[in-house]
Amino acid sequence: METYFAIAAILLLAVMGAPIFVILLTLAMFGFYIADVPLMILAVELYRISDTPLLLALPLFTLAGYLLAESQSSTRLVNVTQALIGWLPGGLSIIAFVTCALFTAFTGASGVTIVAVGALLYPALKQVGYSERYSLGLVTTSGSLGLLLAPSLPLILYGIIAQQMGVGPSFTIQQLFVAGLMPAALMLIMLSVWSWWIHRGKNIAIQKFTTQELKAALWAARWEIPLPALIIGGIYGGFFAVSETAAVILLYVFVVEVFIYKEISLAQLPIVIRQAVAMVGGIILILGVSLALTNVLIDAEIPSKAFDLVQSNIESKWAFLIFLTLFLLVLGAILDIFSAIVIMVPILLPIAVAYGIHPVHLGIIFLANMQIGYFTPPVGMNLFIASYRFGKPITELYRAALPFMGVLIVALLLITYIPWLSLGLI
Amino acid sequence: MNHLVVLLHKFENALLYSLVTGLVSISLLQIWLRNFHDSGIYWGDSALRVLVFWLAMVGAMVASRETGHISIDALTHYLSPLWRKITALSTSVFSAAICFIAAWHSYLFVQDEREFGEIAFANIPVWWCEAIMPLSLFVIGLRFLIQILSPLSQASEQDT
Repeated sequence: METYFAIAAILLLAVMGAPIFVILLTLAMFGFYIADVPLMILAVELYRISDTPLLLALPLFTLAGYLLAESQSSTRLVNVTQALIGWLPGGLSIIAFVTCALFTAFTGASGVTIVAVGALLYPALKQVGYSERYSLGLVTTSGSLGLLLAPSLPLILYGIIAQQMGVGPSFTIQQLFVAGLMPAALMLIMLSVWSWWIHRGKNIAIQKFTTQELKAALWAARWEIPLPALIIGGIYGGFFAVSETAAVILLYVFVVEVFIYKEISLAQLPIVIRQAVAMVGGIILILGVSLALTNVLIDAEIPSKAFDLVQSNIESKWAFLIFLTLFLLVLGAILDIFSAIVIMVPILLPIAVAYGIHPVHLGIIFLANMQIGYFTPPVGMNLFIASYRFGKPITELYRAALPFMGVLIVALLLITYIPWLSLGLI
Repeated sequence: MNHLVVLLHKFENALLYSLVTGLVSISLLQIWLRNFHDSGIYWGDSALRVLVFWLAMVGAMVASRETGHISIDALTHYLSPLWRKITALSTSVFSAAICFIAAWHSYLFVQDEREFGEIAFANIPVWWCEAIMPLSLFVIGLRFLIQILSPLSQASEQDT
């Protein structure tokens, strides 16, 4: 009885806004205390994350992403895509989806896409004739599009945890990256087609295609265009290890933005580095304390109890997937993506594997759900960022995001129920 | 008091920049050696892992002074300013206490490891690598304590 009371009190503190790492640390401490284990074990567990080779990729990619976000790369990216596909019907919407996805892959859905890319696209969308509500919905929901594309941080984090657990068929981080390609493409295509369909026959200005403009845009972005190639060659091609790719990309981005474009001054650099390291440090700390908590949970047989509970109530894989989707959508609306991954993956992965779900497929399902959670009322992070950035009341954003959410939920169901979309290429 | 805080900031910044520089240089050096000279620093990968760990812990210290740690703050958006102050105060007291307890026990752990005297890599003892844990947790706890002492300025900063 006292145990439940204590846990309820800790969860209340979580809702009151205590940092997630403090909450996880408290739960772990409490668990060890009950089990009569000396609390020194906390340090042993925390230090254990330094055994993860892939961990190095996190700060390196984060730094590269922060440098890109701080420079004018978002403007150049929009210009290139505009010159390339602006002539298509529904062109500007497609531009918006594609640029947001690419930018998010590099910057990791920290909300910076809405601020950097969304802020450019929102006025442009309204100008060519899209409605206010549609434009708002687009920039709000696209802020997390691209989570499934390498080198997004949540994808790497899932890989780190799933590999460490070693449950089910083993996989490489490259395979996880490849697995995200088709689901991400599906989301982009469905959003583009839907957007074209609802605007057919409406008076939306289309840009003429000119080689001149394309040349100018490509020339302006000539130093950043090799970046996707570095990712594709380095990670998808397997030429470099993942953390090596991260180091090379960071060096490249640093030289390009600081010395060639000169958009980040040397005086600005320490601030950008500090912000990036503070963010990634916070995430790794959460990851470390969650490892301790996972051991507490395993000792208390929570995963196997959860497993029995689920198995005695849900028979088929298909029913389990529906339950999983509903559960993750709710979770994504309450927790941020990083905490959700570190807390829930250790519990969900063994259950999912027992139902015959491949760990890579589970990762894609998990992130696709979280992506929607980013703009699920009442507490999705994108809603708050967009409300702040565009000065709109949050309830207006709920309404604006709803149709996009509908399309993405259909995509999510396809991704969930057609494992081939995730596993076909690996 | 303020003077000490400034000194702490300077120390953290210096540590953070050196760690980032070390991390990036060693990783690039390793890639260079591995791909073009078919060699590598023997202890390079172990050093990188410890550097990442240190960077993460220092990053967490910096997060507690600047951007703040990830929390479920969305629900507090709906509270009145008074209640927001009350919840901020109580979560800070709680967080500080937890961080100090964790800092103390990791200090005991590092002491044990020091007596044990194991070597991590290249003559560097393991306990040096682990020593960042009690330090970082202690400083984070301290930051929560400072927040309690200046809850008013903290709350008004969050409003803007």
